[in-house]
Amino acid sequence: MKPRVAVFDFASCEGCELQLFNLEEKFLDLIKIVDVVSFREGMKEHSDLYDIAVIDGSIMRPMDVERLKIIRKKAKTVVALGACACIGGVNKLRNQWTSENVRREVYGDANLEGNPLFDIFPARAVDEVVKVDYYVPGCPIDRAEFTKVITAVIMGREPRLPSYPVCVECKLRENQCVFELGMFCLGPITRAGCNAICPTHRKGCAGCRGFLEDANMDAFKDVLRKYKIPMDEWLKCFDMFNCKIKREK
Amino acid sequence: MKSMTRGQWFSFTDSLIQDNTRDIIGVQSKGKRFHFALLENAHDLRLDHDVTLLPPKKFLLPTHEELIRFDISRPFEVSSSKPDRAQILIGVHPYDVIAIQQLDAVYQNPPVDDIYAARRKNTLIIASDILTIASRSFAGSLGNHVVTSGYDLLVTDLGDIVVIDEGTSAGRELLKSFGECREALTPEIERVTQLRAELPGRYRHKLKVDKWQWTELLLNNSTHPLWEKNARKCLSCGTCTLVCPTCFCYDVDDVMDINMKEGTRVRTWDSCLLRDFTLIGSGEIFRQAPVDRYRHRFYRKGVYLPQRFGFVACVGCGRCATQCLSDIADPLNVMNTLAASSVETRLDLPIPHKKPHHLQGPIFLPKSATIIRREKMTQTDTFYEIELDSRKPLGHQPGQFVEVSIFGMGEAPISVASAPEPGRNSFDLLVRSVGNVTTHLQSLTVGDKIGIRGPFGNGFDAASLRKRDLMFIAGGCGMAPMRSLVKYVLAHRSEFGEVSLLYGCKDPDSILFNADLNVWKTRTDIVQKFTVDDCPAGASWDGNIGVITDLIPLIDFDPGKTTAIIVGPPVMYRFVIKNLKDRGMPDDNIIVSLERRMKCGVGKCGHCQINGVYVCLEGPVFNYADIKDLPEAF
Repeated sequence: MKPRVAVFDFASCEGCELQLFNLEEKFLDLIKIVDVVSFREGMKEHSDLYDIAVIDGSIMRPMDVERLKIIRKKAKTVVALGACACIGGVNKLRNQWTSENVRREVYGDANLEGNPLFDIFPARAVDEVVKVDYYVPGCPIDRAEFTKVITAVIMGREPRLPSYPVCVECKLRENQCVFELGMFCLGPITRAGCNAICPTHRKGCAGCRGFLEDANMDAFKDVLRKYKIPMDEWLKCFDMFNCKIKREK
Repeated sequence: MKSMTRGQWFSFTDSLIQDNTRDIIGVQSKGKRFHFALLENAHDLRLDHDVTLLPPKKFLLPTHEELIRFDISRPFEVSSSKPDRAQILIGVHPYDVIAIQQLDAVYQNPPVDDIYAARRKNTLIIASDILTIASRSFAGSLGNHVVTSGYDLLVTDLGDIVVIDEGTSAGRELLKSFGECREALTPEIERVTQLRAELPGRYRHKLKVDKWQWTELLLNNSTHPLWEKNARKCLSCGTCTLVCPTCFCYDVDDVMDINMKEGTRVRTWDSCLLRDFTLIGSGEIFRQAPVDRYRHRFYRKGVYLPQRFGFVACVGCGRCATQCLSDIADPLNVMNTLAASSVETRLDLPIPHKKPHHLQGPIFLPKSATIIRREKMTQTDTFYEIELDSRKPLGHQPGQFVEVSIFGMGEAPISVASAPEPGRNSFDLLVRSVGNVTTHLQSLTVGDKIGIRGPFGNGFDAASLRKRDLMFIAGGCGMAPMRSLVKYVLAHRSEFGEVSLLYGCKDPDSILFNADLNVWKTRTDIVQKFTVDDCPAGASWDGNIGVITDLIPLIDFDPGKTTAIIVGPPVMYRFVIKNLKDRGMPDDNIIVSLERRMKCGVGKCGHCQINGVYVCLEGPVFNYADIKDLPEAF
């Protein structure tokens, strides 16, 4: 019996789901090893019987929490897909403002009272609501890493994410350091696994895969000072995917 | 020496490219820097480069490299990787030639890495004299700005003409077949001599301590404040080692194709600066503090590799200094600082001399083996009897280990739990479920195939134990390697004096090898004492409750005549050894077997290193006296 996989979306651009279709001919290989039973972006059919739930997006509302908890109960394995699901990603930028301010900014004076679609709380990563078994980080996800994780899950093997920074992969690709090119890069404190795609294309890492838990932030800030990166640029870049600010209500 | 015009040099490289029987790799520009890359056009070749981003090592030990290919849809289907095309590296600077000679020494030291050796044999090196000095290089201070061997051809670009020294007959053949040249004239040779003689003076950075003094200087300064000070700035990003031409550690992992049928075992460059470099299955990390990893890199360069191979493993290329964002990686700065402010707290880090290994053939290709008996021992441990499909005995000594392969999952080092017995071809393994391989093993059953490499390491030296009283002290699954020795001793019982076995476990249900223990209980020539950390209410238990050291006073032993053999979890050693020493046991009478991340088993990948000691080569069994001074041992 092939494992049954369902893909669900919460608050996200759904680009990580699109990345699955971007596997192209490999997607055809993928559906030889799993049965996709639910995937709104790609099919009409839906089944509530699944082994692996793949979750794209952040959790923003009480109604999301209810839906997510039901999915967790039905699935044997939950995989968080992409930055929004894994760490909250860009959705957490919104946590700098109160929910009331956010609503007014987007919808003006429209009366949203009592409408559950607009009943929002500060954005949460999936694992702030339910237990997540495995993560495929990134904005968007790295397709090769997704297949690595999914084949490992099917084989019953723990898919380990790299515990080292993007610099490792960047060096193996023999890139000139983007700091030398006068750019800002979060690679030294960001979890690897993307094969240093941004620095390889001469763009500093934006930290979409999340910061390493044991990142040496003090040393990194010294580096930013050494390369004379303006402080306001630091803060913008730090917050982009890894905003820690949280204003309740 | 030969010489040719610029045009002839261009034709020579061009005809090498056109010949198309070898990959021609040359130095080319990459943005404002340089790299070694496949040369498609002779015009792209640069001989005026300062230094390349990565060393030419990447063509001898690729960043990612397939070791074996397997098919898990069949019972046991595995093959070695296909050999690469022959290649020529053009533009290798003298310091990189010396670094390649060091790689050769390491990878062709027994057990020979056959994949590296095959690629090296297929590689010709066209070195080039340094024209532009890299901003942070100090190769001049190390004498690595020039080279007299290690190349097939050495070219000196004098602008109008190119002078070529033939280093080997292969180089001479190459020049004869593809190039047009004449004997170099005396004034041309003089220009080359002058260029080389002027080089050292052109280096801005100078080492203030001779390279042969690095070992002493480092050993005298393990507590120097510089380590902590610099490590605070360390990002643990591994850059210094990844760009180093002399670093050679690697990681190995299995990668499945998406068809879930075929897969490859891939080795990738690794770095001892990364936190998980020393992580073992049970979760322990042996070099947890960034300062320990930071210092380890310099000790490797200046102490451990000089001790083992006789060379300082830094060629002064300056790559680490240029690419370290925090600028703490430069060996020149570190050695000059130590020389100027030596703190003189002497440390000795000897490498115990052990039998060299002479494994032959493809070292990464596992042998096919079959599980012929399986017995669940505890909730987490399973016992397996294994037979090689060649029906040959494993040929191991008690205390040695094998690398167990499950294709798609990876490899795990497992101690052999049985003694070699005449007439018996099979061997025993005890596997505790801690990682991917060991967890998956629990689901395998009789008739299933696994891969075996080894046996590896130095086991117990039974001859040196003869006539001695023996005290076996085992904790947890340390009982598995211990069993191989206990069985050996009991099979040759008359050769040994008094024998006792002290065994401690978490709780009564965790006791391993109950069947053996019960048989040994009936013997009068071995005393056994047991303890558990914890005994749940209602469990039947007549042994001690407490730590393993509680059992030592229960044995009446003469510390001078007794050898204690200790195998257990890392935390156990310190306490047991202290207790034995308090009882007057000399260091020399204590034998230990240590667990580390033995990933390759052949002394190359670097993960199992305790200071300069490779556990997979010199260990896992050590005499305590040999390693007690190694700060990373206990």
